[in-house]
Amino acid sequence: MPHVVRSTIIEAPVDRLWSILRDFNGHDHWHPIVARSEIERANPSDRVGCIRRFQLRDGSELREQLLTLSDLEMTFSYCLLDTPIPLFNYVAHVRLLPVTDGNRSFWHWESRFTTPPGREAELARLVGDEVYTNGIEAVRRLPELAGEGV
Amino acid sequence: MARVYVSSVIGAPAAKVWARVRDFNGLPNWHPRIAESRIENGDPADKVGCIRAFSLRSGDRLREQLLGLSDYDMFCTYAILDSPMPLTNYVATLRLTPITDLERTFIEWSADFDCAPEQEAELVAGIGTNVFQGGFDALKRAFGG
Repeated sequence: MPHVVRSTIIEAPVDRLWSILRDFNGHDHWHPIVARSEIERANPSDRVGCIRRFQLRDGSELREQLLTLSDLEMTFSYCLLDTPIPLFNYVAHVRLLPVTDGNRSFWHWESRFTTPPGREAELARLVGDEVYTNGIEAVRRLPELAGEGV
Repeated sequence: MARVYVSSVIGAPAAKVWARVRDFNGLPNWHPRIAESRIENGDPADKVGCIRAFSLRSGDRLREQLLGLSDYDMFCTYAILDSPMPLTNYVATLRLTPITDLERTFIEWSADFDCAPEQEAELVAGIGTNVFQGGFDALKRAFGG
């Protein structure tokens, strides 16, 4: 079962980074592969159990469900419900921690999933590089985080 | 219950930093405030439950017991048994996490304890600054920040 982990340091205070990431319906504001995002049944995006529907830039759609959201721990987790990519049993976890030595943030993004046989490495690279690393780099460039930190 | 939390970035891969800090008897090798340390009863330093008796450069003596150690998750949890500090129920955790895009290490050191309310601010500041951040600064000098 592939286990994908990407982590980084963001030069911004952790509460500011969390205010961006905690919005389960906000990825279309920053993730380069997400064209549109909406929450089904008009649920609030911080209602645990809510489902987001993404339309990706390539026109495909996927649905993900919020499993955990904690403002205290600054964590959330979610699973894939429907996807054009063959990722099964996909559960992802995001957590933020403060770097007290410099007022920066540690951002940890990981998931586990299964794939059709033989496609583990290819799909682990897709999730880690296309989804996580590209997302992290896009957030790092957000104007509302620029000029913050050390 | 009082809480101390300090975190930093060390400029080396987590496995290298872990090799330095996992030795429960190794504080004198990297922490500038620790003068000498030994493990009681001849136990190995990675035996969970072992007790380290060590002295600070100030002359103060402490005994601490290893409660948890993970080479997989790279953390170490321990409790103070005896110390000159006016606190009780002190449990601390030192934890390393890889920063994958930089090949560096996110390091956290936290503690929970009980004390008299009027002494809490001084204890939190002293432990956070002298013990935890002091250790991080020494690791940053050794490995880069």
